[in-house]
Amino acid sequence: MTKPPRVWVSNAKPAKGEVVRVRAQIEHVMESGLRTDSAGHLRPRNIIRKFEARLGQHLLFTWEPGISVAQNPYIEFTFAARESGELLMVWTDEKEALLEARKAIAVS
Amino acid sequence: MKRRDFVAGSVALGAALAVSSGRAQAQSKPVLAGPLAPNPAEFRRAMSEFVGNATPVEAGLKLELPVLADNPGAVPVHAKVTLPITESQYCKELIVLAELNPSPLACRFRFSPATGTAEAAVRLRLSQTQTIHALARMSDGKVLIAKQTVTVAASGCGM
Repeated sequence: MTKPPRVWVSNAKPAKGEVVRVRAQIEHVMESGLRTDSAGHLRPRNIIRKFEARLGQHLLFTWEPGISVAQNPYIEFTFAARESGELLMVWTDEKEALLEARKAIAVS
Repeated sequence: MKRRDFVAGSVALGAALAVSSGRAQAQSKPVLAGPLAPNPAEFRRAMSEFVGNATPVEAGLKLELPVLADNPGAVPVHAKVTLPITESQYCKELIVLAELNPSPLACRFRFSPATGTAEAAVRLRLSQTQTIHALARMSDGKVLIAKQTVTVAASGCGM
């Protein structure tokens, strides 16, 4: 988890109540725990287990991926912009490694 | 050989070939074993746990995914609740189930009244041709359901 997340926001300066679409992708192996290495041993499972998106104080969206989610997980969600604030997105994997992305949302 | 015999013989041969190739196609559908084997018990458990005592309604939830998944390692799946979302009636939770994957519960989304919408898209890896189910629970307890079958071109490698 070294490279910063790639984040796209449909409109960083939305009108009040406008639906904003967010697309985000990170680099992560999403090791399912079903694959074996060259010696035949199972590789230990390590997936992103939680994604949270907050706008200011409000929790907008939570995603709990399972092992069926593809490598380099991509997530797209929408929310209705009701107030200005910082859109904070946090990814957590099973080794408790965190990855964060921030985007300022200014409601006009 | 008379011409009539030849024609009759080749027709019979063609018919036999057609039958055997049809049988070969029916048999060629692999049953996945080992770590990629489907887990129907877990699928039923996840489904009944989410639905609870409610009766799922086949309306108000839109599930979009390709009919043919040419890359089984990343199949785009998009789910959206099309009912009007208000502060009092919103979608609390949405799950995506891949019926024949070793781990059928692909992912879970949670929304809040602050979200104002209920829409998400992800990419899944699918072990074989199967049906994808999406279920959404609204704040009033109503459960919405949608499903679609997807043909997976190459089996297993995506996992």
